Amino acid sequence: MQPATVYSRDRCITGIHGMDEILRGGIPYGSTVLAAGTCGSGKTTLAMEFLVRGALAGEACAHFTATEPSVKLLENIRQYAFFDMNMIDSGLINVFDMDVLYSWLGLDKASFDLDDVHALIKAIVDIVNTIGVTRLVIDSVTTLCYKIKSEQLIRDFLFTLGKKLATLGCTTILISEITSATENAHWSSFGVEEAIADGIIVMGDVERMGHLLRFLQVVKMRGTSHSRAKHAIELTPLGVMLTPMLKWGAVNDKTSRWGS
Amino acid sequence: MIMFELDQRISEQLTEVSLNSSVQVRCGNSNAFMVTASTMIPLMQMFEMGGVYICATRGAVEIIEAFEAIGVDVSNIQFVDLVSSGILGGTDVDRPNITFIDSPIMLESVLLRTLYILRTSNTERNFVLIDSVNALAIYNEERMLAEYLHTFINTFRQREVLSVILNVPDQVPPMVLSNLDLYCTDLIDRGQVVIH
Repeated sequence: MQPATVYSRDRCITGIHGMDEILRGGIPYGSTVLAAGTCGSGKTTLAMEFLVRGALAGEACAHFTATEPSVKLLENIRQYAFFDMNMIDSGLINVFDMDVLYSWLGLDKASFDLDDVHALIKAIVDIVNTIGVTRLVIDSVTTLCYKIKSEQLIRDFLFTLGKKLATLGCTTILISEITSATENAHWSSFGVEEAIADGIIVMGDVERMGHLLRFLQVVKMRGTSHSRAKHAIELTPLGVMLTPMLKWGAVNDKTSRWGS
Repeated sequence: MIMFELDQRISEQLTEVSLNSSVQVRCGNSNAFMVTASTMIPLMQMFEMGGVYICATRGAVEIIEAFEAIGVDVSNIQFVDLVSSGILGGTDVDRPNITFIDSPIMLESVLLRTLYILRTSNTERNFVLIDSVNALAIYNEERMLAEYLHTFINTFRQREVLSVILNVPDQVPPMVLSNLDLYCTDLIDRGQVVIH
């Protein structure tokens, strides 16, 4: 009798130290992953390293920035040794200011309706398709969704965008900003992003005797088994580094700054 | 320069350890620096190793100056200082081979910083030295420290980096000490107070 073959989805190898081990090989190709975290938890660095590792492997990458101008983003990221400005100059990493994109589309308004949302999706998908982007980051989806007033529209936007990007074989990280610190944890500002995403990576701080330790935890990732343990992270010049958090540390640690 | 006599038996014992070994080094209160130097110097000079010195007992500058006082150059060794951030002005130091961590309770950060330094190291063979378990025990609960040392030793054993764990045994929490006996592959015991 032949052994049963086990189907395993192809992976987008993140290249981030420790991350592919947590994900048992990487993010399943075409997934939309929500990277949710508090300010200063390392979301942008993680996402940028995800793009850089892709660019180093010859993949075309795109970064849509809604929280800070691209010039400022690049100035901040240049301090990391893993980043090389040649990746921008050579077109391997393409950075787009959402404000500029809104202007191109004539979306200079406070809130978006259904047509605006569809125009935005089309613009992003066209860029991905034209450049052949296989790794995409939107930083942050929270800022973007503030312009979409209805929960149903946010759901439609994220679902349609995710579906179209998956069809193009593009693995996407949507950065989500979370702020408050109560026990009833949500991993997105609007509550719908987390339900639609294929994966959720939570980043934040635990407080141990008055000191803040950064952590990362993969809460959900469709299409792969993965560790759900909390991992300590360090943002080093070589990129993000991860190690499992001490189990006995949890006795005293307070997860102080995530959830809402 | 201060005249200093090394304990030659330590270097003889070190010839028997391999890169994936973990060595528990026991010393007393009064011979701690002599034992540390007798361990470090052969590793640097005989075995031409680089390494990371994790300072939890004293600040890195003080340790570097102690080595310089006996004529030993430790500029090739990277120091991770867990002490000086707790002293206002303690990190105002212009030495490229020292990095500071906010507190000895940030054990995971110590591990990650050490791994980072080793990733950037040009030296083929390396050691990591914890000075000392006793100092870490001031800040960290017994079970957590035992768990940490377990993780630490296995992490570096897997990466073929020699780990050296310094302790004064009669002041180490019993659970930590018994676990060290279990995890470590070698023991250098200079735990008795040596009177010269």
